[in-house]
Amino acid sequence: MATRFLRSISHISRFPQITKPPSPYRITSYINHVRSITTSPSLFKTDPVGKPLNIPDHKLKPQKLPVGENQEGFEEVELFDEDGVDHGKGSVLFPDEDSWKWDRDAEAFPDITLSTLTINFGPQHPAAHGVLRLIMEIEGETVRKCDPHIGLLHRGTEKLIEYKTYTQALPYFDRLDYVSMMCNEQCYSLAIEKLLGIDIPIRAKYIRTMFAEITRILNHLMAVGAHILDVGAITPFLWFFEEREKMMEFYERVSGARLHAAYIRPGGVAQDMPIGLMDDIYDFLKHFPARLDEVEDVVTGNRIWKQRVVDIGVVPAKAALDYGFTGVMLRGSGIKWDLRKVQPYDAYSWVDFDIPIGQNGDCFDRYLCRMHEMRQSLRIINQCLNQMPEGDVKVDDVKITPPKRSEMKNSMEALIHHFKLFSQGYQVPPGSTYTAIEAPKGEFGVYIVSDGSSRPYRCKIRAPGFYHLSALDFMCKGHMLADVVAIIGTMDVVFGEIDR
Amino acid sequence: MFSWWRTMQESGGLWNSIKIIYRRSDLRVGTLVGEDANGNKYYENLRYQFGRHRFVDYKLKEFDASQVPPEWHGWLHYMTDNPPTKVPPVPRKFHAEHQANWTGTTKDYVPYSTTRPRIQSWIPPTNKQ
Amino acid sequence: MFRISSNLYKACIYRHTPIRYFSAQQPSRAHKYMYVTSHPDYIPMDWKSTMDRNAQTLLLTELITGLMVVIGSMFKEPVTINYPFEKGPLSPRFRGEHALRRYPNGEERCIACKLCEAICPAQAITIEAEEREDGSRRTTRYDIDMTKCIYCGFCQEACPVDAIVEGPNFEYSTETHEELLYNKEKLLNNGDRWEKEIAANIDADFLYR
Repeated sequence: MATRFLRSISHISRFPQITKPPSPYRITSYINHVRSITTSPSLFKTDPVGKPLNIPDHKLKPQKLPVGENQEGFEEVELFDEDGVDHGKGSVLFPDEDSWKWDRDAEAFPDITLSTLTINFGPQHPAAHGVLRLIMEIEGETVRKCDPHIGLLHRGTEKLIEYKTYTQALPYFDRLDYVSMMCNEQCYSLAIEKLLGIDIPIRAKYIRTMFAEITRILNHLMAVGAHILDVGAITPFLWFFEEREKMMEFYERVSGARLHAAYIRPGGVAQDMPIGLMDDIYDFLKHFPARLDEVEDVVTGNRIWKQRVVDIGVVPAKAALDYGFTGVMLRGSGIKWDLRKVQPYDAYSWVDFDIPIGQNGDCFDRYLCRMHEMRQSLRIINQCLNQMPEGDVKVDDVKITPPKRSEMKNSMEALIHHFKLFSQGYQVPPGSTYTAIEAPKGEFGVYIVSDGSSRPYRCKIRAPGFYHLSALDFMCKGHMLADVVAIIGTMDVVFGEIDR
Repeated sequence: MFSWWRTMQESGGLWNSIKIIYRRSDLRVGTLVGEDANGNKYYENLRYQFGRHRFVDYKLKEFDASQVPPEWHGWLHYMTDNPPTKVPPVPRKFHAEHQANWTGTTKDYVPYSTTRPRIQSWIPPTNKQ
Repeated sequence: MFRISSNLYKACIYRHTPIRYFSAQQPSRAHKYMYVTSHPDYIPMDWKSTMDRNAQTLLLTELITGLMVVIGSMFKEPVTINYPFEKGPLSPRFRGEHALRRYPNGEERCIACKLCEAICPAQAITIEAEEREDGSRRTTRYDIDMTKCIYCGFCQEACPVDAIVEGPNFEYSTETHEELLYNKEKLLNNGDRWEKEIAANIDADFLYR
C-alpha cells in the first residue's frame, strides 16, 4: 500500500507540469492516481485535499526539508532527480514525517513510459495517397502531432525544365498532378502565351475549357472516390472509376494517351478533336448526373459517412487563408474565391456556372463542394459543346506552332519551320510571369523567367497540394488516428505535384 | 443475363459451358466474324452492352493478349468497324508475320548493337617461341 | 430504378444540402456563389423538420436508400471488361509501342535527320548515321530505350517522313529491362509486323494531320 502511494507520488514529481493541458504526457492517468491518493490526506503537507493539481506555481517553491535523522534544523534540498527534471517547478507533493524516510530506490521509480507513442504512417500505406510518410505522435488514439515527410517522389522537375525547350517541358506538366493532367498543361501554356504575348483561337479556348472541366471531373471523381474508400465504402469508388474510364477514353481519342495527354500546347491544342467526340461527350453528360445521384443517395446522407466527416478537419476561414489554401479547401471554409470567376482565363468568361461554397470548413463541406463542382463542370462542358465555334485550334504563327503535317510535306517553308521548331524550339521574349489557374485541387501556378532563349531560365511551380499538406498538423491535431485518413482524403493530395 | 439457357446450349451443353467458364471466367456467344491465321476466332454479339460486344476465343491453351494479330487488333479494340474479312489490309511485300510477346521464353528479344564497334579490344601478342 | 424522390431525400438529411441537377439548370448570373450547406448553428426546429429528422434517425431511411441503390446495381450488367478476351476501346491516335516504317517498296523511311532525337524530352532515342553503299543517308543505329520513353508522341510529330511512329500495340511488357532496349532491327521488325494497322490508323486520322 505504501509503495503504491509512493509510486504515485513519484509519478507526479517526475512529470511536474501536469496542470497544463497541451502537455504531451498522459494527463488523465495522473489525475486518477492523484485523486486516489488524495483520499489519505496525511500524505500531504500542503494538503489541498482533492485539488493537488491546482496549486499555483509560486506557492510551490522548493522548501526546506528535513534531511537525515540527525538534522540540525533544515537545509536546502535539490529537487532535481537523476533525469534532470526540475521537481520544484510544478506542483510538488511533499512527504510527511513518516513517508520521507521511505527508501526511494529503483523499485519506487519504476520504469514506466508515459510519453506519447510515435508511429510511422506510410509511405506505403494505401490511405496515404501515394508516398506520404507521416510521423505521428499519438496518445492512445488521439493524434498530438502529425509531421508529414515528403520528397519521396522528387524528380527535380523544375530543374529539368531549365534544360528543356519550351515544347519539351510540356510533358513534365502532365506528370506533376497526375490526376488532373490537362489543367497543368493549360497553366503552363497560358504562362508561355502570356510571355509570348499571343492570343489563341477561340475554338482552342473552348476545347481547352472543355477538357479542363473534364479533367476537373476526373480529379474530383478520384478525390471523392478515394475519400469515401479511405473512410470505408468501396462501392462508390468502383462506380466512379467506371466513369473515369469513359473520360479517359475521351482523353485517348483526342490526344492518343489516356493519362499523360500532352494535348494542350502553348499556342492552342495539339490537334483538332476527332469527328464524333463531341457527340459522345454529350452522351456522357446526359448519363453522368445519374451516377452522381446514385453516389449521393448512398453516401451524402448516410449517418456512417457523416459521423466520419462532419466536424472532422475543421479549417476556419482565417486559418485557411493563413495556410495558403486554395480551391475546394478554401471554398469549403466559406471564402468566395475561384480564379475562374475572379480572373477568368480561356473561355470561362463566356460560360455560366456557379461556385459552391461551404460554411463549416469540415470534410463534409468539402465533399459537398466537390460533388457540386462536378455538376457545375457538366454545365460548363455542355455550354462549351453548344458554343463550340469553327476555326483553327492553333495560333496561325509559324514561328510558334508547328505546321500541319500535310502542309509540312508540301511546302518547303513549312518544312524549314518544322525543323526549326522541333530542334531549336521557339524563343520566348525576356520577362517573367506568374500565371495561375484554378486547377481542381486549387491554384496551380507557374512562375517562369525567360531570358530570351528557347529554354526557360527558371520555372517555379506552385502546387496547391503542397500548401494543403502543410496544414495537416493543424488539421489533425486532437483528432483520432482514423480521422487522419479522412483528412488526407479530403485534402486530395497527389505527390506528383507536391514533391515535383 | 439474357437467355443463359440458350447461351449454354449454343456453347455446347453444360459440360462445355463449365469448361469455357473455367477457362475464360465468362460465357458468351456471338456470331463468328472471322478467324485469323493462328486460328483465333473473333465474335461479335450486338445484344451485349456496347463496349463489350466484340470478343476473341484464343486457339492456344496458353492464351495471351498479344496473340491478336494487327489486322484484327484494330477491330477488337473498336478502332474500326471493318474486320479484315471485310476490308483486307493493303498487302506489302515487307509485311512480317505476327509474333506474340515472347518475353520469358527462349524466343525473347535480346538487344544488340547494330553498329560496328569503333574500338577493338586489344589482343595480346602471342609468343612464337 | 431505386431513385428516391428528391424532396424526401432532402428531408432525410440533417444538414440541408440542396441537390442541383445539371439538366434543370438555367443559366443565370444571379447566384455566382452558392452555399452547399446551411450554417452550423441552423437546425430547423419546426414541427415538420423535427419530425422528418427523427423519422429518418429511427427508420434508417437514408441507410435503406443507400442499401437499395447498391442492391439495385447488383442486377445491372457488369461493365468490367474480361481482358484478354474482350478489349477496351482505342483510337487511331493511340500512342503505344514504337515502330519504324517503310515505304511501300520496302525501303526504310528513316533518313536520320535526328529530329526525334532532338525533341525527345526524356532523351530516350540514340541515332547514328552513315552513308550507305548506294549513297543515301541512313541510320546505322536507332536505339530507343523504352524504359526512358514517356510516350509523349513528340517523335512521331517531329518525324518529317512518318518513319518513327507510336503504334497501337501496348502488350509488349517484358520480364527484363534489357528486352525494352530496342534497336533498329527490332523497331523495323515492329513496323513490318504492325504496318497493316499503323497504315489504317494514319489513314483514319488524315483529316487532322
